[in-house]
Amino acid sequence: MSDIPSSVKPIVRLKDVSIGYELANPLVTIPDLQIYPGEIVAIAGPSGVGKTTLLRTISGLLQPISGEVEVCEKIFPSKLNRGELGYIPQKLGLIRHASVWHNVMLGANAGHKSAWNIFPSSEARASAMSSISVMGLEQKTNEPIRRLSGGQQRRVATARTLAQCPKIIMADEFLSELDEETMKMVLSATIDYMRKNNSSMLVVEHDITRAKSFADRLLVIDDGRVNPFITETTAMEVKV
Amino acid sequence: MNRGLLFIILITIFIQALLIFDSMLGSWDRLSVGAGTLSNFINEDVWPPDWGVFDPTWSVSCSASPRFDFTCSKAWIGLIETLQIAFVATVFGAMLSLPFSLLAARNLNPRWLSYSSRFLLASFRSMPSLIWAILFVIVIGFGPVSGVLAMTLYTVGYLGKLQYEAMEGMTKPPLDAANAIGLSKFETSFFVVIPESANDLISQAIFMFEYNFRHGTVIGIVGAGGIGYFIDLSLMALDYRSVLAYLILIYVVVIIIDLVSIFARSFFTEEEDILIPSWIEVFTPESIISLFKHTKGQINGKQ
Ligand SMILES: Nc1ncnc2c1ncn2[C@@H]1O[C@H](COP(=O)(O)OP(=O)(O)OP(=O)(O)O)[C@@H](O)[C@H]1O
Ligand SMILES: [Mg+2]
Repeated sequence: MSDIPSSVKPIVRLKDVSIGYELANPLVTIPDLQIYPGEIVAIAGPSGVGKTTLLRTISGLLQPISGEVEVCEKIFPSKLNRGELGYIPQKLGLIRHASVWHNVMLGANAGHKSAWNIFPSSEARASAMSSISVMGLEQKTNEPIRRLSGGQQRRVATARTLAQCPKIIMADEFLSELDEETMKMVLSATIDYMRKNNSSMLVVEHDITRAKSFADRLLVIDDGRVNPFITETTAMEVKV
Repeated sequence: MNRGLLFIILITIFIQALLIFDSMLGSWDRLSVGAGTLSNFINEDVWPPDWGVFDPTWSVSCSASPRFDFTCSKAWIGLIETLQIAFVATVFGAMLSLPFSLLAARNLNPRWLSYSSRFLLASFRSMPSLIWAILFVIVIGFGPVSGVLAMTLYTVGYLGKLQYEAMEGMTKPPLDAANAIGLSKFETSFFVVIPESANDLISQAIFMFEYNFRHGTVIGIVGAGGIGYFIDLSLMALDYRSVLAYLILIYVVVIIIDLVSIFARSFFTEEEDILIPSWIEVFTPESIISLFKHTKGQINGKQ
């Protein structure tokens, strides 16, 4: 990127990485990907192509088959610092029988409390409180997750990540299932957060028009359905 | 797996069991002869139950009012002691087994740790509580303390296994989220895994209480306290009517524990969210029902 001074280090850097669940059978290759502080990069591609797999690999949950994955200056397999990376899984990963508060506090504690301190800091509580209200969930603070609608649950997962104040957010289709108005609210709250903290975001977004509307860059994972001449599934950058 | 194959495997297993049983039995006539003896035994020696076990016993001085003098009976004293033994052993056992089962869950820990924890739990479990009880009666002496210790150890082994299986059965996304954001093992265990599997953990603990209560009747026989002691006395006196009365009492208590379990689990299951109108609701005006409902009246879809 020409507008980024070369002294700024990328938060995420992938070089000749291939990912997947079987060593012999990689799903996707990513020749080159760098995400700088403050950037939003969207990933699009057909269902089942490996978008979630890419997010899991960058989050350190899955070992890359080959290549170098560097996040926040840590190269896999060395672990990230606590709370640096926020993750909104496609399946949300909320604790169904626990309250909204409990779930959001998990993120807040990761970001604002050391692992050795048993009691949540006042900072963590304040952060949880404000992200719950930003997501418009104050009325539901003490409700168990299982009593919330699909869209409300999605907002809880977003609130959990905002409460954490991560340097980079991995968001897997976090805008799905929301009506137009709520979707805009969640998106603007997330972008607000990023602007304030100079954080970055890698977001899986199957709606390409929407992805183009808010992302700085777009990465398309193509298995030949877009470009019939490619020989292996590759993640390529597309001009926005 | 192929359905036809599965069916053949199940049939083969069943036939195998029948064949083994047949070789044990020698002749099937033994069963019909046995049935005759059993019905004689029941008609002459066992039926009807002797509810005299609820009369105050002369071995304790009874200070209760006449209406409550059953609280001085052998059945009541034994029942309460067995319940106490089971309660203390289940609480201690559950507290001790929880850390071990967290270590034993393969989705939380590396293999070497989870397997060593599993082997430890298995060693507690491989001796039945009856054998533990005999051991503690020898070491500590007769009485409920031996019963509590024996059952606590067995509970750790048995409940621990149930617990780690529940933990391993939880879905992956919550663990993924916890790992990705860097929560510690401790936080993941206590704030993610335990709440997520709380429903199973609670119903298993209550099941364990019921199990310990039933087995409490057995360990009483070796002198580790509880109602089993009185059952043993009646057995030795060939007083089978009293034994039957004790057994009916145990049966009733087991059913009550089961009802309590359903109630306790209702806080953690989704059943409460589905509204199935009971017959009372069908025949009572809504305004009256809403007086008795603690949840905001959701009948007929109203908020
Ligand atoms: N745990 C797993 N083990 C083995 N294979 C898996 C696993 N999870 C997913 N896969 C396979 O990997 C492929 C990519 O899955 P992935 O979830 O990354 O797709 P995706 O691009 O996120 O699709 P969608 O848009 O539908 O979410 C799929 O073919 C899937 O079957
Ligand atoms: Mg996906």
